[in-house]
Amino acid sequence: MTFEQIVFYSLAVVTIFSSIMVVVQRNPVNSALYLILDFFCLGGLYLTLNAQFIAIVHILVYAGAIMVLFVFVIMLLNLGDTHKLADRLNMKKIIGIAFGLAFFVELLYLLGFGTTRSISQQSPAAPEIGTIEYIGKVLFTKFLFPFEVTSFLLLAAIIGAVILAKKKIIH
Amino acid sequence: MINQVLQSLPYIVPELIVTGTLCLVLLLSLMMRKKSDLLVFVAALGLFAALAVLTSQPFASACLFFKMTVIDPFSQFFKLVILFAALIVVLMSRFSDEVNQIKKSLGEYYFLVVSMTLGMMFMVSASNLLMMYLSLELTSLTSYVVVGFIKQSKNSSEASLKYLLYGAFSSGVMLYGISIIYGLTGTMELSGINQVLAQGSANTAMLLIGGIMLLVGFGYKISAVPFHFWTPDVYEGAPTTITAFLSVASKAAGFAMLMRALKIMFLDSSALEIGNEFWPLIHGIPVVEILSVLAVLTMTIGNLVALWQDNVKRLLAYSSIAQAGYMLLGLATISNEGYSAVMLYFIVYLFMNLGAFYVAMLISNTLGSENIHDYKGLGRRAPFLSVSMAVFLVSLTGIPPTAGFIGKWMIFLSLINVKMIGLAVIGVLNSVVSLYYYLRIVRNMFLHEGEKEEVAIRYPLAQQLLLLCLMVPTLYFGIFFNPLIELVQFSVQMFGIK
Amino acid sequence: MDTISILEPLLKILFIIFVALLPAVAYGVLAERKISAFIQNRLGPNRVGPWGLLQPLADIPKLFFKEDIVPAAANKFIHSLAPLISITIAFSTFAVIPFGDTITFSIGDSSYTTKLQIADVNIGFLYILALSSLAVYGITLSGWSSNNKYSLLGGLRSTAQMISYELSMGLSLIGVVMLSSSLQLDDIVAAQGGYWLGFIPKWNAIPQFLGFVIFVVAMFAETNRLPFDLPEAEPELVAGYHTEYTGMKFGIFMLSEYIAMITASALIATLYLGGWQAPYLEHLGLSPFLMSVAQMAAFVVKVFAIVIFFMVVRWTVPRFRYDQLMSIGWKVLLPLALVNILLTGLFVILYH
Repeated sequence: MTFEQIVFYSLAVVTIFSSIMVVVQRNPVNSALYLILDFFCLGGLYLTLNAQFIAIVHILVYAGAIMVLFVFVIMLLNLGDTHKLADRLNMKKIIGIAFGLAFFVELLYLLGFGTTRSISQQSPAAPEIGTIEYIGKVLFTKFLFPFEVTSFLLLAAIIGAVILAKKKIIH
Repeated sequence: MINQVLQSLPYIVPELIVTGTLCLVLLLSLMMRKKSDLLVFVAALGLFAALAVLTSQPFASACLFFKMTVIDPFSQFFKLVILFAALIVVLMSRFSDEVNQIKKSLGEYYFLVVSMTLGMMFMVSASNLLMMYLSLELTSLTSYVVVGFIKQSKNSSEASLKYLLYGAFSSGVMLYGISIIYGLTGTMELSGINQVLAQGSANTAMLLIGGIMLLVGFGYKISAVPFHFWTPDVYEGAPTTITAFLSVASKAAGFAMLMRALKIMFLDSSALEIGNEFWPLIHGIPVVEILSVLAVLTMTIGNLVALWQDNVKRLLAYSSIAQAGYMLLGLATISNEGYSAVMLYFIVYLFMNLGAFYVAMLISNTLGSENIHDYKGLGRRAPFLSVSMAVFLVSLTGIPPTAGFIGKWMIFLSLINVKMIGLAVIGVLNSVVSLYYYLRIVRNMFLHEGEKEEVAIRYPLAQQLLLLCLMVPTLYFGIFFNPLIELVQFSVQMFGIK
Repeated sequence: MDTISILEPLLKILFIIFVALLPAVAYGVLAERKISAFIQNRLGPNRVGPWGLLQPLADIPKLFFKEDIVPAAANKFIHSLAPLISITIAFSTFAVIPFGDTITFSIGDSSYTTKLQIADVNIGFLYILALSSLAVYGITLSGWSSNNKYSLLGGLRSTAQMISYELSMGLSLIGVVMLSSSLQLDDIVAAQGGYWLGFIPKWNAIPQFLGFVIFVVAMFAETNRLPFDLPEAEPELVAGYHTEYTGMKFGIFMLSEYIAMITASALIATLYLGGWQAPYLEHLGLSPFLMSVAQMAAFVVKVFAIVIFFMVVRWTVPRFRYDQLMSIGWKVLLPLALVNILLTGLFVILYH
């Protein structure tokens, strides 16, 4: 095994473990913490793909901003009795599990037998594409239009969040 | 690089006008909190200007902003429908008591309506999966808010939350589908995907999974049946103006996106012959089967559940699900004729559905109720309103001489032309079922005596004029439909298709 | 990977932690006590060693030998994890700060040149932002896991405070990035060499004065120092997030607070005050090796000047009220930071 492979497999194992723990944990704070760990490992995986910008922004935005707010809200809600959160096995859950398993098996099958192309090789252009200079250049030329649409999306979302927060409910 | 951006700008002038309008509305609402009429005026004027510019460039056809979006007769047509619906909705909002009760945040209301319009305009011209997703989100996010914040009731908040959860889930699934398709083909641009698929190198099973996940996003937007659960609650909980807007414009935008994605991604252009009605599809993907099943499910469930509804808005919600089913029938033909029939249906649907919701809104303004039983005796108290409601409902059923008949007729005709007789029969049977619940409202209005004293209800002239604007086309296009057919046959052209 | 490429950063890390940061913290605490004593007209610690100079040697063992109490109702794992998160993040930021130019060791005929920076990554700027956004976890989790209302309030306050001020901090830095057109801290320092009009050092603090002020204020808030120390405000919250911490766990919190302060000072020096650039030094005609040492010394002097500024502010300015804190962050600093970006953009367009 090369150095890269060791890094990849150890990150992958921790990623999968922590994503499972996010779902399995009863305590919401623990779930959130595992999710943060998960984000870190994903950031590491991005780094192994030479995508530095994505890696660091992933940690900055998801682990550093969004998850902080999650933890903040969980603490404010102070969900003391975590058993209330657990619901029993019902029809919905069984159907959900069945769909999930079917999808998983399908994906495994496809990855195992379906693909004809080998994608183990990294593109030679990868180191260049991951840099912030390249992303900046592309963002303001090829992806200018989606970029501007995103800014409107955020404007609308901010205004929406403010007015929803100010709303009073009359029972 | 910069040249291409500058060259693209003149084509999106309508979008730029709408953008300017929404900024102006926001600024005005910050500076002049009290003057709600000014807001309506600015919003309506902006939308009207965009509409005017749009109609002045009907033949524009170009690929813009590095293949992110296209301008073609198809997108121009749907923008027309959306802008017109937005204009009507803004005017409707002026007359709506539920909307005007929130004096403080009226500016935000109009801002959100206009930005929803902007998102829909981007949706119909998106030719790249990324743009499709972003514009879909712009539309969805604004609609989550606008559904929830007007009424200070628990129902409305619940509707908004339900909408948000369903929306977030389905757009997440859609995003996953996009990532699978991108991974398979290496591009997010629709025509690029088509080229890769035509070479046949992509794995079909994987493509099917990606495609179905993509369909979840579209299906949610057009409220097709397995993805429709949010529709009744949201339509009931939202202010009527927004319900009307969602049921017409949002659905049109979703359909336009689905139609473009279907045709551009899966059309086998090497086997395309001019004059052939049925497009050849890339081998191996059961598009027709999936669409047929969706269409039948959507119509049938929408119509059957509507039979038990007592709330007019909820009833119209199920009816709009059923209408989406009829339109999906047109898509299932996979032919230009089917597509143009769906587009024709949208023009008709625009007038009749907006009209029905408008009447429901006016009635709930005075009666304070949306229950079907409170409509009893309205025929005498408000004759003009009741007659126009009857016209809209008859048109929704699809009975001549209303425009709704022409819309349905074209769809069934296109089905028969491609020998899908079975589907056509199911469609007709469904229309018969729908007759029952539409006429239940009409019967309550005209054939039942009201329990309360019969005081005539008067409506201001402006409100009646707007109603006339919706009712006259519903009747007119039922008789003089040739210009419409010419329009849709021209507008069915998409950029990049021979 | 050869040995030298692993050994070199390792040596630098050890140097930074054990030669620079830990002693700096130990004497930073003493300096703070001395300064506070001076401001309050007291003597301060003066019993251990001459002028109390050996006081840290007495304090550190005390922290180590104190009993470590974990409250019965606390979440034990997170309670222990929180101080570790704090200290790790406080140390990690230093990895990208250049504390000098390259230095060349020559032994006999062979010479070895190395950069005086642990990791010269080209997204150093974003790395700093990412770490500062993570710093909040240590405090928040310690507040929550202690299962104490004061601690929880302290943790919540610090979350809200740090999220609010991070925004202004990041935005104020955009101006610096625009001027030096690089996200690499190394380049940012290099761009601050030279003079305007022949004698004014080309430090970013001059053209970016507004950004500099915003950044310094935001840094005070990010490090939870007075006048922004609401997470641990004694009159209201006992001791805030570390109320339930004793012994070395408390010590680690104190350590990380001081390291965070030193790191913040180093950042201010690097980004706005020329980093290791020392003006007029090239006229002295020093040998390259001595030059490097002198530049390192210049960096250390700048950092300590700012640290002392931090301390003086702590003992002279009263604490803000919570709503004042929020309105300063969102209604003053954020708009100013945006204005700063606009002005810098205009300046860059006109100048080039």
